[in-house]
Amino acid sequence: MTTKRITTIAMLTAISVVIAIIESYFAFLNSIVPGLKLGLANVIIVLTLYRYNFKTALLVSIMRVFIVSLIRTGFGLNFFFSLVGAIFSIVAMVLVKKTKLSIIGVSIVGSICHSIGQVLIGIMILDNNNIVYYLPYLLLFSIPTGVVIGMIAKKVLAYDIFKN
Amino acid sequence: MNRSDLKIIAFIILLALVLYLGLNLMKKEGNIASIYYEDDLLMTVDLNTDKEYVVSGQLGDVILEVKNGKIRVKEENSPRHLCSLQGYTNSSSKPIICLPNKIIIKVSNVSDIDGVVY
Repeated sequence: MTTKRITTIAMLTAISVVIAIIESYFAFLNSIVPGLKLGLANVIIVLTLYRYNFKTALLVSIMRVFIVSLIRTGFGLNFFFSLVGAIFSIVAMVLVKKTKLSIIGVSIVGSICHSIGQVLIGIMILDNNNIVYYLPYLLLFSIPTGVVIGMIAKKVLAYDIFKN
Repeated sequence: MNRSDLKIIAFIILLALVLYLGLNLMKKEGNIASIYYEDDLLMTVDLNTDKEYVVSGQLGDVILEVKNGKIRVKEENSPRHLCSLQGYTNSSSKPIICLPNKIIIKVSNVSDIDGVVY
């Protein structure tokens, strides 16, 4: 691992942590459907996936979950929800990245798989099948959030501020 | 955004609709509510009798109110008060889940039983 790579990963992680923390203060979507959020930090993950590669994006994503848990939410249930959601989302995105989908479509797929992962882990950890009733709402709200994240990522990529 | 993006959006909307309809066809209005703390059944209450109940949750007492065949969380201590904001429920598909207090209220139906004595 070169110094440059370490620095890049650290920088991307730092940006996504800051975005996630700022976003956690604006949890208004939570009152519509519990557990719903914009997930703006995923902009960085989508960006990393496109600008760098899967391994970098996975690293940044997992480190973000750990650091945000460490300073904001703690290592309780939230932590497992975030971790599983993040891994589901990134694996799904890398799988559909090679198809005809644009960056917006890829980000939508990431967004819905994040929700699906969280519902699955919810059913497993809480042992309560009723959580599945959230899924239609989460799926529906994944579309606007996915589109917004995809559009932001596209704009940022066009400026290429992460140019070497 | 290209054509395949729009296709995937349409697919997700369809999936959400199918799931929503499918899940709602299965739901029934219930007449009893079971109150759980984590996995333990604390009590079962009859939704046809208007009454208030108090159970102790993780963060203190949780006050439940049964009124007009529905149940709600009236008062509780939690950071965002999500479960008391949720309001009344009488449907098996809309459980009240109060995670900070570890209290779960599930509504179910006992119509196939002749009667329940409390």
